[in-house]
Amino acid sequence: MPPHQADAIVIGSGISGLTTAALLAKSGRQVVLIEKNKKPGGALRRFKRAGIPFDIGFHYTGGLGNKEILRVLWEYLGVWPNITAVPLHPGGHDLFRFRKSGRSVRAYYSYDLLQEELITNFPREAGGIRDFLANIRRICRTVPFYNLDLPLTPFLRDYLTAGNRSLADVIQTSVKDPELQAILAAPALLYGIPPRNAGFALHSAVTHGYYSGAYGIVGGGQAIVDAFITVLQRTGTEIITNCPVEHITVKDGTVQSVIAGGHEIKAEQVIYTGQPNALPDLTAKGTFRPAYIHRLKDLEDTKSMFILFGKLDCPDDGPRLATTNLYSLPPGVDIMDAPSPGTAGETLLVTAPGRRDVSDGSDAPAANGVIVMRPASWEEAATYDLGHKKRRTGYQTWKEETATTLLTEVEKCFGDLCPKITPLATGTPLTFRDELGGPQGGVYGTQHNMTQFAPRARTKVEGLTLSGQSTLMTGLLGSSLAGLVTAGEIIGLETIWDQVLT
Amino acid sequence: MIHDEEIRRQVIEVIAEEFELDPVALTPEATLYDDLGLDSLDAVDMVVALEKKFGVKLANEESIRSVRTMADIFALIISLKPAGQ
Repeated sequence: MPPHQADAIVIGSGISGLTTAALLAKSGRQVVLIEKNKKPGGALRRFKRAGIPFDIGFHYTGGLGNKEILRVLWEYLGVWPNITAVPLHPGGHDLFRFRKSGRSVRAYYSYDLLQEELITNFPREAGGIRDFLANIRRICRTVPFYNLDLPLTPFLRDYLTAGNRSLADVIQTSVKDPELQAILAAPALLYGIPPRNAGFALHSAVTHGYYSGAYGIVGGGQAIVDAFITVLQRTGTEIITNCPVEHITVKDGTVQSVIAGGHEIKAEQVIYTGQPNALPDLTAKGTFRPAYIHRLKDLEDTKSMFILFGKLDCPDDGPRLATTNLYSLPPGVDIMDAPSPGTAGETLLVTAPGRRDVSDGSDAPAANGVIVMRPASWEEAATYDLGHKKRRTGYQTWKEETATTLLTEVEKCFGDLCPKITPLATGTPLTFRDELGGPQGGVYGTQHNMTQFAPRARTKVEGLTLSGQSTLMTGLLGSSLAGLVTAGEIIGLETIWDQVLT
Repeated sequence: MIHDEEIRRQVIEVIAEEFELDPVALTPEATLYDDLGLDSLDAVDMVVALEKKFGVKLANEESIRSVRTMADIFALIISLKPAGQ
């Protein structure tokens, strides 16, 4: 039987919910964590097909070096000892390939190596390459998550907006070669905003984590979830799964309780980490003013993807791949356009985390799982939509055809590097809409772009706070920081910042 | 081009609807914080609502930071001269 009362209720058990819950529990609060899905973890969960574990959302991350923010936060929370982070090989890199010219360029997880590689490939653009990378580092020196000596509050007040230019604008004024432009734009695939809409400051904040050194985690995203659950259980936090929230009760502008599974739990603090557009419908009419409701409902989702989970046709003890992720890109900054119907398009990402060449060479067992992704528009899947988890006839056939087209392209593009792939499962914009809640199947929450204001943690309702990747930044690092900021709004921003850092 | 008076009328209309305020209270001298009870959280909602209504970009306008009264909003929107509806 769930409890009737708690100090704080966290709705949603993705990484921001887990982080907020763990921080509040550590501050001595009695926390209840509610998850609508059967298992906690949101986009960090793993699933298995043919015995192969697949990560839904986690592929690699930055921020785990000594004295880097994600590791500092995990150390503070006590989850770090339960996590085995593996630095990708120091000479490790992604590979960018262009179909028409056949050019391949290595994208190292190191500013110095990356700069050298780019200048070698594009010698005429040397000045622009140096300026572009230096600009990213300059911006990140003003971001407290990367410069831990800085206070948090001034940054959050003017969060990466002042004098901001679009990523496309900065790239196009820095360098002229369309292939180089595509390479510099490519990290936008890690936050799902087309480069013409993405602010350069946000791009810098996300990209810096990778250019400073990337890490894998043994056991993938699920290992992070499990480490958090262990810590939360130790603090006495109640975790309720398979329990969609039906209503958030508010009285006289102050939050009262959450009703989930027909059961009411009272609390002074409620933290909502779901998609912002779904929040108004969880509250009674009149809780929020029309201006806020319209703002949340109009938010544009990040781009969706078509994802294929498959098996590499090679022996389990086959060689590791020197390259972590294979990217095929079209030249120019428009790397995120969905392909025209019946084609796979030029933007592809192939990743086989189980076959990575990790720094110690031994830690993670090799596995033959492979994930292939391409940008997808909501429209291409929408014709099969009949509501939550209901599909029109023909959906299965469309998925199979789309997968076949995608694999044919992968073979054409990466046949020399990547063994043949047998498809095992697919994810479409409809899958991600249903699993992650984005109205158009966005895989990174709401767009933090230059033309809209993503919601902040605080709301007009006393005791009701938002979190999740829609509120601050995207991805594992961004969502963890969103969880930190949300807990900070409750406990005190500078207080929590000081506590985490000391 | 719409007339300044029409812009004022539309500003009052959108703010009254979106913030559930009495249009009669939305006089030029009314201050947003003290008279209308809006706060810093409402400020972003206000920018979003006005941008949508008039199809203008306010976020990068320096003058948005000095807005205190309804008259300031009228002047700001008029200065951006929205091109009809």
